[in-house]
Amino acid sequence: MTDTPTFELDGEAVPFTPGETIYEVSQRHQANIPTLCYDDRLEPFGGCRLCVVEVEGYRNPVASCTTVAMAGMKVRTATAQVEKHRKTLVELLTSENPHKKIDPLRGAASQELVTLQRRYGATGERFAGKTSGTSREDDPNPFILRDYDQCISCYRCVRVCAEQESDYAISVMNRGFSTQITTEFDNLLEDSDCTFCGQCVQTCPTGALADRKALRAESLPEPLEATRSVCPYCGVGCSVDLMSKGDKLVAIRPARDGGANEGALCVKGQFAFDFVQHDDRLAYPMVRERGELRRASWDEALDRAAEGLAAASRDHGRHSVYAVASGRAPHESTYTLQKLIRAGFGTNYIDNCSRA
Amino acid sequence: MSNPLSDMERPDVIFAIGTNMTGCHPVAATRIKKAQDKGAMMIVADPRRIPLAQRADLHLQLNVGTDVALLLGMAHVIAREGLVNESFIAARTTESGAFLEHVKRFTPQWAESICGVPAADIETAALAYGRADRGAIFYTLGITEHICGVDNVQSLCNLALMTGHIGRPGTGINPMRGQNNIQGAGDAGGLPNNYVGFQPVDDPANQARFSKAYGRQIDGERGITKVRALDYAAEGKMKAMVICGENTVVSDPDRHHCEKALKNLDTLVVIDIFKTETAELADVVLPASAWAETDGVFTNTERRIQRVRAAVPAHGESKPEWWILSQIARRMELPGFEYESAKDVFNELCSLSEIYRGVDWDKAGEAKYHWPVPAEGHPGTPRLHEEDFPTPSGKGTFKRVEFREPAEVVDDDFPVWLTTGRRLQHYHTRTMTGRAGMHYFVPQETLEVHPADADAWGLKHGGRVKMASKRGEVELAVEVTDRSPRGTVFCSFSFGDTPVNELTGAGYDPITETAELKVCPVKLVAVT
Amino acid sequence: MPQPTDAELIATWASQPAPLLPLLHAFHDRDGYLSDDAIRAVAKGLKMPAADLFGTVTFYHHFARTPGGLDQPRVCDGPVCRMRGYDGLHAALTDASPMPCAGRCDGPIPVLTGHTVRVGTSAGALQEVPTPLPPAYPGKGSECVFASIREPDRATLDGYRRTGGYVALETVRADASGVLGTLEQSGLAGRGGAGFPTARKWRAVAEADARGGHKTIVCNADEGEPGCFKDRALMDHDPHALVEGMTIAALVTGASVGFIYLRYEYPQTVPILQKAIDDAKNAGLLEGFDLMIRRGAGAYVCGEETSLLNSLEGKHPFPRNRPPYPVTHGYDDRPTVVNNVETLCAVAPILRNGAQWYRDLGLGEHAGTKVISLSGDVTRPGNYEVPIGLPLMELVDDWAGGPLPGRTVQAATMAGLSGGFVAGDDLSITLDEPALRAKGSFLGAGGIMVFDDSRDMVDVSHQAMSFFAHESCGKCFPCRIGTQRLAERLGGQGPSALPVWNQEVLDIGSAMKATSACGLGTAAPLITDSLLRYFPERVQQHVEKNR
Repeated sequence: MTDTPTFELDGEAVPFTPGETIYEVSQRHQANIPTLCYDDRLEPFGGCRLCVVEVEGYRNPVASCTTVAMAGMKVRTATAQVEKHRKTLVELLTSENPHKKIDPLRGAASQELVTLQRRYGATGERFAGKTSGTSREDDPNPFILRDYDQCISCYRCVRVCAEQESDYAISVMNRGFSTQITTEFDNLLEDSDCTFCGQCVQTCPTGALADRKALRAESLPEPLEATRSVCPYCGVGCSVDLMSKGDKLVAIRPARDGGANEGALCVKGQFAFDFVQHDDRLAYPMVRERGELRRASWDEALDRAAEGLAAASRDHGRHSVYAVASGRAPHESTYTLQKLIRAGFGTNYIDNCSRA
Repeated sequence: MSNPLSDMERPDVIFAIGTNMTGCHPVAATRIKKAQDKGAMMIVADPRRIPLAQRADLHLQLNVGTDVALLLGMAHVIAREGLVNESFIAARTTESGAFLEHVKRFTPQWAESICGVPAADIETAALAYGRADRGAIFYTLGITEHICGVDNVQSLCNLALMTGHIGRPGTGINPMRGQNNIQGAGDAGGLPNNYVGFQPVDDPANQARFSKAYGRQIDGERGITKVRALDYAAEGKMKAMVICGENTVVSDPDRHHCEKALKNLDTLVVIDIFKTETAELADVVLPASAWAETDGVFTNTERRIQRVRAAVPAHGESKPEWWILSQIARRMELPGFEYESAKDVFNELCSLSEIYRGVDWDKAGEAKYHWPVPAEGHPGTPRLHEEDFPTPSGKGTFKRVEFREPAEVVDDDFPVWLTTGRRLQHYHTRTMTGRAGMHYFVPQETLEVHPADADAWGLKHGGRVKMASKRGEVELAVEVTDRSPRGTVFCSFSFGDTPVNELTGAGYDPITETAELKVCPVKLVAVT
Repeated sequence: MPQPTDAELIATWASQPAPLLPLLHAFHDRDGYLSDDAIRAVAKGLKMPAADLFGTVTFYHHFARTPGGLDQPRVCDGPVCRMRGYDGLHAALTDASPMPCAGRCDGPIPVLTGHTVRVGTSAGALQEVPTPLPPAYPGKGSECVFASIREPDRATLDGYRRTGGYVALETVRADASGVLGTLEQSGLAGRGGAGFPTARKWRAVAEADARGGHKTIVCNADEGEPGCFKDRALMDHDPHALVEGMTIAALVTGASVGFIYLRYEYPQTVPILQKAIDDAKNAGLLEGFDLMIRRGAGAYVCGEETSLLNSLEGKHPFPRNRPPYPVTHGYDDRPTVVNNVETLCAVAPILRNGAQWYRDLGLGEHAGTKVISLSGDVTRPGNYEVPIGLPLMELVDDWAGGPLPGRTVQAATMAGLSGGFVAGDDLSITLDEPALRAKGSFLGAGGIMVFDDSRDMVDVSHQAMSFFAHESCGKCFPCRIGTQRLAERLGGQGPSALPVWNQEVLDIGSAMKATSACGLGTAAPLITDSLLRYFPERVQQHVEKNR
């Protein structure tokens, strides 16, 4: 027999592949199980306990992210009892942080806790008490805000740094309610093994680790939009989302479904985008006149370029014209350039910058 | 790369040579780090104790420019120990007999005498790679930027052919491409020897086809490389040049020569997003719209075809390059440049490329096709050489490579080896990263010097040093670190105010004409 | 003698099994604290990330991070010591800091300095005192693990052998086939608190595939539960019983490596156990079984078996997710038996005397015995091996001399602190799991602390919850925040309206019990549950006092 095994998920028989967790199967079936410590790239951790579900015959609810599905299980994902515990847990989390607005600019996952607070009506009134985590306002790095006041100790940053990046730059200091996310010897990020790849920022569900460069745009009124693209740096070709507000490029985020990077980026891809809208950008064509470059109209500059190429060919033969294509520009640039040379001069006098 | 990036998590033996991957291809590096976490053995060959070497199970700290010797020594051991994959050799290769005879001369002891790696370590590396189920080779410019760059690559190919570590998951010969679309620049025909899709220009059938497509008879012989073109320009034979998005003056070797060549042109047209050192020399400067402002296609190092998209308006009056170049063509009254969008251009490219035939603008948007995609409906080819090699016989040919010394070697006047490279936080000549806050990490160029050398040469951490080669001199700060081995110093070429490439460029690979940027004898004088 | 260098210490330990804790202790002992450089050296020596190691070091409260820290006195602030003058002693000692219950509840307050425990009630009168023997058996039946512990020289190899020691081992070495059957019939179950049938655990390990590695026997001697000190008595006075039990376990399951994970607070036990191991080894009794001691460093949660395994392996001592269980994926991810000291000590007597003998030691339908560490407001505190099913008050009154003169018993904790407490009519309970479970409690590791009518049970509860908050590992949300919030509420913070206070405490407790990842979080709210059940008026006074 090769029948696919099934179990009962909220009354419906659902198939699963042996080894899958209840949570993984539930995601395929749109069961809306909340979680805060889960990141599908990481080993299931079982810390937040929000994903607990009831399994018939089990004394206590089980964490669906760490419980492997078994044939014939009867699972209920949202009984009144389970929902009550989830509400308590979200209220407890809400009570351990100061209450402030978490701008979506902070990071890709930064709204996860906020979303659950809304879902469970957690306002921070219940369970008031001491807050946990201490922000590192002394860390001057301009990239990663370490706002640990907002931390809920889900360890996604720790785990992504270890399991995805193999950098092991993030430490868990102390224990229990005194737990503090930090680096080795509680140093500044720059003095640690951190490579500023931004993975911790993008997986943080509360915005405790936040994209400082993006937050520069907090006051812009336009909505935050994402445009899928590819990183402009090395040849790995990481998929990214270009985050913009109106005409302003405000942040870069790694694409979780990017084939080359599967959600990863490096410091350049993550943070080095200011060049695009930099004041140094060439804003208009220029031509040389009496030894100096001066502003010109497109027509004038293009005419001058076309004439210069044509003149060289006319006066010195078609093998006196050459073109160098860019390894950074898109295909369409190089294609048009090589066609210009081949169709315009009948030569193969073109190269690109791969030799240096 | 012969294999997809996802294969990087699958080797059981990783051999990374001449690649500072954590700095230059960090996200790819995470994948081999994961392979290592899963138990793969990692062998790193590099003159420097780069981060990858610090993580390695075995670091082969070879002298600069001696890769061929190391690789011949490894081939010798693999052959001697009977680790050659006989069935693979029989089915998939030619000239194995002569090659196996050839490597008998190159013992690990001989290799040690040249590359400085202990013979025992060469044996260990060779045995590990030879015995691996899935051995994978990764390399970058540390292999190619030598006068023997082609020999280096051939030597790596020989190892893969001997062992059959190619054409299967987790194996392969995997050069990591340096720039975001350097692969695409070749794919799109930006080469003197190939039309789009690497169709040789000296094949009459291709010549005829493209001459027809472009409405003009095109030369049946190869063009010249950029290196040669700059020589011609310096000599006055080249009169006009269009340079797109390259800061040639800083990134190319021998800056004085380069500046002289470009100034010598009657017309230099530079298309760029910044007023680079190269643009400063131009007669016409045309502003291009930048990444994030431009729609187009990039192809990455694993030959994955992906779309880039505009998210914000183009800066000022800047325009996409395809538009600018089409406008020039139209002013020259050339037909076939009536493009209205990047999509038009890309679809024409696909129609003329054997390897892009099965994709188009829309399919590129799915970001899942690895070329070759020879026909519509083809799923793409994430892994090359599974069945055959792209040679007339379909077989891989062993090449009998010999060790050659670098173009210049250290002597009494220039007693120290300089090797150059890149750093994680900067990219090329910093036209981009220099304007994006990365100076927080690396505000200036530094020269990495081994502590014992620093003592011997009177250099202090943070102090200044003058470094000169036969071609030029720069001054920069000293970083005392044991990343660099004794007798060899390192810096990047990223800083325009520390134009290190004024020093490099003593020679070129005779086939690719790639400059020897990785080796240069220099002398150092402390600045007091 | 010159101090060993970093390289020498690393060379000594790096190739040993479970090297991290002993290597950290070696640096800690050499330098008197763990410096940044020491942590860097250990990380490099064991090829582990410095950030991970730094974090893990900060987890253990006995690792000093400032010079001289090792030699600064640590004073027990456990529930019993608090009743005996902790505050004054702590104040009287220079540079003293509190430590959670150090397992000396049957004597004066322990003060740990370096690797010496001295006890006393005033700073000037601290002295080293050996672990007391269990009081002479006051019961009517027989003991099991304590049956021979009072024999002269029982702790030596000769003395142990003279009193029947190692007979069972030799029998098993000749033929191990009947062991699992006998243990199964005896009804022996885990005596550390979980009560899992020992035979089932051993059988699972015996049948599991070691997948190219080796199987391991781990003795959980991390007796961190407040009010528990029975394992200390067993190890200090009958160490060979433990060695014999572990070696039998190894023979039956096919394990080749054994660890005794000993709590840091029992330094005096280290040489006793080491001598027993060495003597047994030299006598050829341990053939094929490499048995070694690993000392903890101060973390209650390491008494949880999967945290303990992570601690042994040098990982951050968070509990693991189960399944898989240690019987298939334990130490080094290979099949592992984790048993409590008392369980292992019971093995040889059961094999010698037979399953039925052990079953019959219990009362009524209950099988066997349990050592109870009885302390607090009783006349004769100490370790008592009781038949399962003995009425609590028979233990307190008849065995231990009852409450102090003029006092009455107000409440008694169960399972140390983990079972909450019983009070009022429920003091008539019998000591067996069914009876205790019916009252929302459990016997656990067998620590019972008695509080007489002079004690403030809100304050007792506050101290108990503060202990759990201090020891919560921080992995799971309900325990990490829940213990903190409950401790705050018992300490006088929180809502001042009784219904709101009650509702918050009940909601936190019920979420903790239902969703916590390990026993710490599920047990802690039994404290507040029992407080609300038995002392609602005291709670009302407490809450309304803050209005």
